[in-house]
Parts: sequence; structure tokens; C-alpha cells
Amino acid sequence: MNFWFAVLRQMGRNLRQTWASQLMTLLTVSLSVLIFAFFYLIYTNMLNAGDKLGDDLRLIIYLEDEPGPEMKEQLRRKITDFDQVQDIKFISKAEAHDRFAKQLGQNKDVLEDMPADFLPASVEVVPLKTLRNLNRVKLFSEYLSKLPGTLKVQYGQEWVERFFYFTRLLSIVVILSGSLLILTTVFMVAYTIRLTIMGRQAELELLRLVGATNDYIRTPFMLEGLMQGLFGSTFGLVSLFALYQWIKIRFSGPGILNLFNFTFFAPQTLVLIIIASILLCTVGSYMSMQKFLRI
Amino acid sequence: MTEMNAPSQPTIVELIKVSKHYPPDVTALADVSLTVETGEMFFLIGKSGAGKTTLLKLICNMETPSNGLIEVAGQNIHGLKGKKLARLRQKIGVAYQDFKLLTDRTVAENIAISMEVSYKKPPVISKRVKDLLAQLELSDKHDAITGELSRGEQQRVTLARAVANSPTLILVDEPTGNLDSSTTEKVMNLLNKCNSSGATIIIATHDDSLYRHTDHRIMELCRGKIRRVNGGVQV
Repeated sequence: MNFWFAVLRQMGRNLRQTWASQLMTLLTVSLSVLIFAFFYLIYTNMLNAGDKLGDDLRLIIYLEDEPGPEMKEQLRRKITDFDQVQDIKFISKAEAHDRFAKQLGQNKDVLEDMPADFLPASVEVVPLKTLRNLNRVKLFSEYLSKLPGTLKVQYGQEWVERFFYFTRLLSIVVILSGSLLILTTVFMVAYTIRLTIMGRQAELELLRLVGATNDYIRTPFMLEGLMQGLFGSTFGLVSLFALYQWIKIRFSGPGILNLFNFTFFAPQTLVLIIIASILLCTVGSYMSMQKFLRI
Repeated sequence: MTEMNAPSQPTIVELIKVSKHYPPDVTALADVSLTVETGEMFFLIGKSGAGKTTLLKLICNMETPSNGLIEVAGQNIHGLKGKKLARLRQKIGVAYQDFKLLTDRTVAENIAISMEVSYKKPPVISKRVKDLLAQLELSDKHDAITGELSRGEQQRVTLARAVANSPTLILVDEPTGNLDSSTTEKVMNLLNKCNSSGATIIIATHDDSLYRHTDHRIMELCRGKIRRVNGGVQV
């Protein structure tokens, strides 16, 4: 009989004797993983949506007058003085009129009585993708609004701000639920193992007296923790996937999910969550063993 | 204090000026020195509270001495830790006075535990368990829950577990306290058989029928001190 056979048999006995508390721990780990993964899934999708939003982010500087070639060059220089940008596009009054007419489509008749230069000339600034921070965007906007000849700067402030604040709130929820996952997992597993150890103090004492090595005593408990992490996280993630599928089917058609292209975790992320859970549970059982056995 | 002769054979147990005190002021053993040779059968006798059980507990490292040195198989057993201590303990079989049985496990499981920690193969364990149960007339209790056995049966299971792993040193504390004369004979036969196979056996007992006609050495303890030794040299 080799070490692993003996250890697995010992673990089998442990599981048989303490199946009720093991089941409770498994459910707690699953629930913790489910809560964390749920918020993390929303968070990652919101980040993706934020990336998309960032791709479409444009700052529009409305100008008092149509800029001449020299003024255009000066403005270009001033804009790039603040930060590098992806693109700068000048839109003349006539171009603005044409665009507006296009947007009105069949209702463009309403513009017939209006002069062709009633819309102000503008500059469309497409910032670099690295400029995702709301404060940076605000600073950039303030800087642009102070440029000479500027009427107003627009970038859909309200919407962008709300989105960024929502993403920040989500990141806090993710951090909190992540902390909850860590605390619950470690403590629940440690508690279960501790209960098992206390319930089997006589046996562990005897094992030491008949010459069981530290590894022989410790490893079955570590494996129990490992299994709690593996099965608990897998069960939690499978539940989340089922929930995700249900939401997808229930809210199929035009809706917020399709707007954001809501997706499930990549396989790598799933593996990472499972590995993290396994590590946490194993650490939990190791802590208990070290504290109670002192071997 | 009594000291015993330097052994001509390799010693397996050596105690040098060993004392054990329990708070607040109980002296269980005082300056005991003793040498047990390999392959010897050694009787430790004395009234209740004489220090017999304490001495056995010190030899198997269940307790640490307050003073003195204890060597088992040439190693200071109280200086060992981890794997080295575990390996040495695998070579020591102990039949405890309070049995230390897992009362919710079967008889076979209780006996097998000492072989499992040495990674013996399941068929070997199974065969050895059956052999021992047959020798101690417990074959019909193979799958019985240990907690449901009588005191005498539990005592025999404890002994079976102590000798199961074929240890080189067997410590037995009051092996016949709950047994009738017929079963006592079977227990002694098993211990003699182990001794013939080369195991050193130290028996703590107050049952004089076990050592009355023996040729083996006998040491009597009284209030933690060696009172007399038969078969050795008294100093």
C-alpha cells in the first residue's frame, strides 16, 4: 500500500463520517463563488461595454467662427499640446448643415428656410484609447473649452459620467464580493476541518502514537479542502452559467443584453476562478491543521 | 536508587536518571535508571500509582521526562521530531491500559491502523488481522464494532493492534486486567511468540501470576523509585 492509496482511503473515511458538514461547506463555497462570479461577470461585461464606449468617444469643440488654415494649424497644435490624439477633424458650417440634413432624412425640408451657415463650425477630437479615465476626459474637455474661439465642448458628459460611476460602483461590489468569497471560503473550510479534527481528536492522537507521519495525518484534510474548492467553485460556476443562459433566453430580442453584447467568462477566467477557490480552500484546511495538530 | 548492569547485548531501551513530576508536587518517577536489552522480556511490577504506566508513557514518548535521558534503539526519543519520530514509533507497539481504541470502528479496522501507517499492502493487513484474531479467540468479532465488545475483548484487540505491525519493542500495560485465566494464557502465549521472534517486550503488571515462575527480569517500582530487581544486579 503506498502513501496516496492510504491517504485517499483515509479521506474517504473522513468524508463518510462528516458528509453533512462537508455538504454545508460545499454549498457555502458554491454560493460564495456564485455571488462573486455574478458580479464579476457583470463587471467584465461593463468594462467591455466601456471599451466600446471609449471607441466611440469624441469631444466636439464648437467654434465661434469658421477657422482659416492658419487657425486650424494653431488649434491642432494646441490640442496635441495637451495630449496625443487619434484624430482631429474640422467640420465647416456647410458640412455641419449637410450632416444635419442627412440626419433629418425625410424631414430635411425644415432646413429649407434656414441659412446654410446657421450651425457653428466645429472640431471633432478622437482621443487615444488610453484616455479612458473620466477625470482625464474632463480635464481634456476643460482644456479644450479654454482654447480661444471656443463656444462649447461636448462629449455626452452626463451619459459618460453615469457610465463611469456605475462601472466604479460595480468594481467596489466586485471587490467586496471577492473579499466575501475569500473570507467565507477560508473560514468555512477551516471551520469544517476544525470540527472534523475536534470530532476525531482521539483517532488523530492514536495515529500519531502508532507512527503516522505528519503528511499521513495532514494530507487527507488538505485533499478535502482541495475537493471543496474544486467542486464548490465548479458547482457555483455551473449555476451561474445556467442563470446566464436563462437570462439570455428570457430577455432575448432587442434589449440591454444585446446592446452590450453580454458574454460569459472565457475558459481561462473559469479555470482561474476554480484554481483560486482550490487554493483558498486548501489554505483554509492547512491553517486548521497547523493550529490544532501542532505536529 | 537502583542501577542495572551494562548490557552485553545491544540495548533497545536505556533510561538514565529519569524523573517525572506532575504539578503541583506529585513525583511519579524519581531518578530511575534502567537498561533493557534487545529481545528481552521484562516485567515491570508494583502497586497502583507506583509509576509503571508513567514509565511506559515516557519510553513511547507519550510524555516527556522532567529530568534525565531516555534512549530507544540508540536514539534520544524526546529529541526526535517529524518523520524520524514517526518511524521510531512504528517500531514500538503499545497496548495501553485505557485501550485507546476507536470505538466506532470495527475490530479489524482498529488492528489494521498500526499497519496502515506503515503502508502495508491490504492483503497482508487482512491476513495478519485474521491470524491475530484467531490467536486471541476473537475471529467471530472481525467486523464487530469495538465499542460493543466487553472489556476483556477490547483488551485483546488493544494487544492485537500493539503486535500487529511486528514491532521490535512492545510495551504492554496491564495486559490481563480484565481476562480470565484461560484467556490470560493465550495473551501470554502471543507475547511469548512475539518475544521468540525477536521482539523486546516490557510488561507492566500487578498480576503476579504472569511473572511468578518466570526466568525473565523483573523490576519493582514503589512510589516512583526502583525497589528491587530480580534477574539483574542490584546496586
